[in-house]
Amino acid sequence: MDTSIILQIVANLFTVQTLIALFVGVVGGIVIGALPGLSSTMAVALLVPITFGMEPVAGLVMLTAIYTSATYGGSLASILLHTPGTPASAATALDGYQLTQKGMAARAIGISTVSSMIGGFISGVALLFLAPPLAKLSLMFSAPEYFLLAIFGLTIIGSLSGASMVKGLASGVLGLLIGTIGIDIITGFPRYTFGNVSLESGISLVPALIGLFSLSQVFIMLEKKDGAKKEVVKQKLTKLLPNRADMKKTLPTILRSSGLGVLVGILPGAGGDVGSWVGYNEAKRFSKNKEEFGKGSIEGIAGSEAANNAVTGGALIPLMTLGIPGSSTTAVLLGGLMIQGLVPGNELFTANATISYAVIIGFIVANILMGIVGLFGAKYFIKALKVPPNILITVIIILCVLGSYAINNSMFDVYMMLFFGVLGYLMRKTGFSTAPVILGMILGPIAEKGLGQSLVMGQGHLVEFFFSRPISVVFMILIILALLSPFVLKLIQKRRRTVV
Amino acid sequence: MKKFILLAFMVVLSVAMAACGKDSDQAGKADADFPKKPITLIVPWSAGGGTDTGARLLQPYLEDELGVTVNVVNKTGGGGWVGWNELANAKSDGYTIGLANSPHIITGYMNPTLKRDKSLDDFVGLGMHVIDPDIIAIRKDENRFSTIEELVAYAKDNKLTVTATGEGTDEHLVILSFNKKYGTQLEAVHFDGAAESRAAVLGGHVDLLVANAGEVLSLYKDKEIKVLGVAASKRSEFMEDVPTFEESGFEIYQESSRGLIAPKGLDPEVLAKLQSALEKAVTNEEHIQKMADLGYGVNYENGEDYMDILKKDEEAVIDLKDLLGW
Repeated sequence: MDTSIILQIVANLFTVQTLIALFVGVVGGIVIGALPGLSSTMAVALLVPITFGMEPVAGLVMLTAIYTSATYGGSLASILLHTPGTPASAATALDGYQLTQKGMAARAIGISTVSSMIGGFISGVALLFLAPPLAKLSLMFSAPEYFLLAIFGLTIIGSLSGASMVKGLASGVLGLLIGTIGIDIITGFPRYTFGNVSLESGISLVPALIGLFSLSQVFIMLEKKDGAKKEVVKQKLTKLLPNRADMKKTLPTILRSSGLGVLVGILPGAGGDVGSWVGYNEAKRFSKNKEEFGKGSIEGIAGSEAANNAVTGGALIPLMTLGIPGSSTTAVLLGGLMIQGLVPGNELFTANATISYAVIIGFIVANILMGIVGLFGAKYFIKALKVPPNILITVIIILCVLGSYAINNSMFDVYMMLFFGVLGYLMRKTGFSTAPVILGMILGPIAEKGLGQSLVMGQGHLVEFFFSRPISVVFMILIILALLSPFVLKLIQKRRRTVV
Repeated sequence: MKKFILLAFMVVLSVAMAACGKDSDQAGKADADFPKKPITLIVPWSAGGGTDTGARLLQPYLEDELGVTVNVVNKTGGGGWVGWNELANAKSDGYTIGLANSPHIITGYMNPTLKRDKSLDDFVGLGMHVIDPDIIAIRKDENRFSTIEELVAYAKDNKLTVTATGEGTDEHLVILSFNKKYGTQLEAVHFDGAAESRAAVLGGHVDLLVANAGEVLSLYKDKEIKVLGVAASKRSEFMEDVPTFEESGFEIYQESSRGLIAPKGLDPEVLAKLQSALEKAVTNEEHIQKMADLGYGVNYENGEDYMDILKKDEEAVIDLKDLLGW
């Protein structure tokens, strides 16, 4: 690249309009992301029409900034209120909310902010320098790999189960069953739809998530309200920037999750929701403090938050190089690109290189700005906890209804959200975890579709087909290791004890 | 103070709720000064997809012609039928119109397992907007065949996997038509959309790519794929060097078309106003150019002709009913 192009890119990026768009994108993204039900996909969809009239660079920088910032913003509501702002931050709620209850919300937000920033930054750098090879890698994944990736993901349920493995598995199976609702794509047959057209495309994830996590949380908050004692946990006003010990503890997790997030991101069939769970689970698998997970582990927060923001840059890679969106949000972004007359593919990096690279660098800058805004804003976010419960509950309920309606403009989804709210409340009261339900709903359809497609693609030789594909074999080994490792570890520990 | 905040909150809420209420008093009566309030355009697919992008490009031109705001509302689900059901049930006063995709709207009610009670007869055509023919493409490094003739000859003796996006979609109909008319052994692998289809063929996991021309334009330009033929009676303006199947001796015609429809029973005056506004908007040069930049071929047909085309699409699906198992 010669210097004139670089100068052109810099000139494209540092215009007043672009810088304003960048700032608006970051702040707006964090706010929208933090509101339960308003996901990054919706944020981008809402703003795509506004970018039509803007300069291409400014418009696209704003959209990508919103994408990554909304993904980060989702963690704030997860940590503070146990109401994930986006599906990608559901995993963060598990440990983040525990820390809030212990009065360490500031610490949790600090870790989440820094992890998101690093994850997003790394994915942006990957987008800038590694886009072509990573796009090739993404093409090596197809139906069999998605099937196995989903199965591998489902092994996470074992580690989410908490006290009772049976209850955890039952929750996971419930999620898988819910995932079968709707028209089967392979045969076109409607399953469990009871003649209701709204059920034909399945139960939407967002209303279910809002119900299981947010509304059930409201019910639990309502319970406490009756006791006249105000149970406001005193928040320790620690510094927001994570201290050296915390950083040292979480840095390996952040880097690992960033890598995993980019990998999940480049896959067209998996987005931030899958990425965050994979990041969370691998954080636990490699952690020396497994017992902390689910009780307020900063590694857990770092694991899911670095991964879901790394998905954003990763998902932009196949979008920009091949026109194949790597997540549902980037599918909407594709519309934004096209409207600007920017058709993905070679042209984007040749004829329109100055625009494309300016957008990519803008995306990297957006991630840094997002971290700064997050760290400065955190002390105001935490004030949400000081809002009297009666007002807070009202606001959360309104947002729950609004968010579940807005996803498909459908009242049916609002009823679904209410149903899942009651279900989630009953589950939590009886010691069932709600996270495996969500995981089953996300991964079940991916697994089923992948297997169905593999059956046709393998043309009757399914076993040979799977074993002839290197990435499939790697996944199969990983699945076996994931299933066996707890038993092997236990055996080794026993041996050691008897020897010593 | 607390009470005041609550009170203020209630007031805001009740105002907002009142604003949401429908003004249902003036039912479908003839309306001389139509339109006098915003028109809702139901898009039965999610924001950012091909149908949605096309609708949003048309929206400002339609607004100019009608002189009122046109709100694009995405009502997703049921392969488009959540939106179409709502449109069919909407008041036929011209203030609710919608986008139709063929053959999706047709296969959606032809599939007996879905037990739909609505069909084309519940709608009236306002005009066609876009036509996008189906194509068959192969990877650039495919060495078993390089023309559609060679492909068909090969597929008579060998099974080939082909991308499609669900039972009864236009891609699936192309596959079934080839199998029925020319004895090929093409097997459909259904994906969630064109994006996943393209990835599957580029990665070498599925043999043939069947998709709409507009969906593969950038891959075609970048020479990442080789397009073997177009399922239309004339060549695509975006791929001048690609022959039609007809030129190669195969009578396969399949496209996916988009147009605007309204619930039946519109007042004739209102219908005429909507139709002429749509004609002016669709045939606007600037609009045609903007659509062409994205690879969408604008193809205007008036409301009656559009309905006839949909009827023909319906007959084509009926022809393939046995292969679909319906």
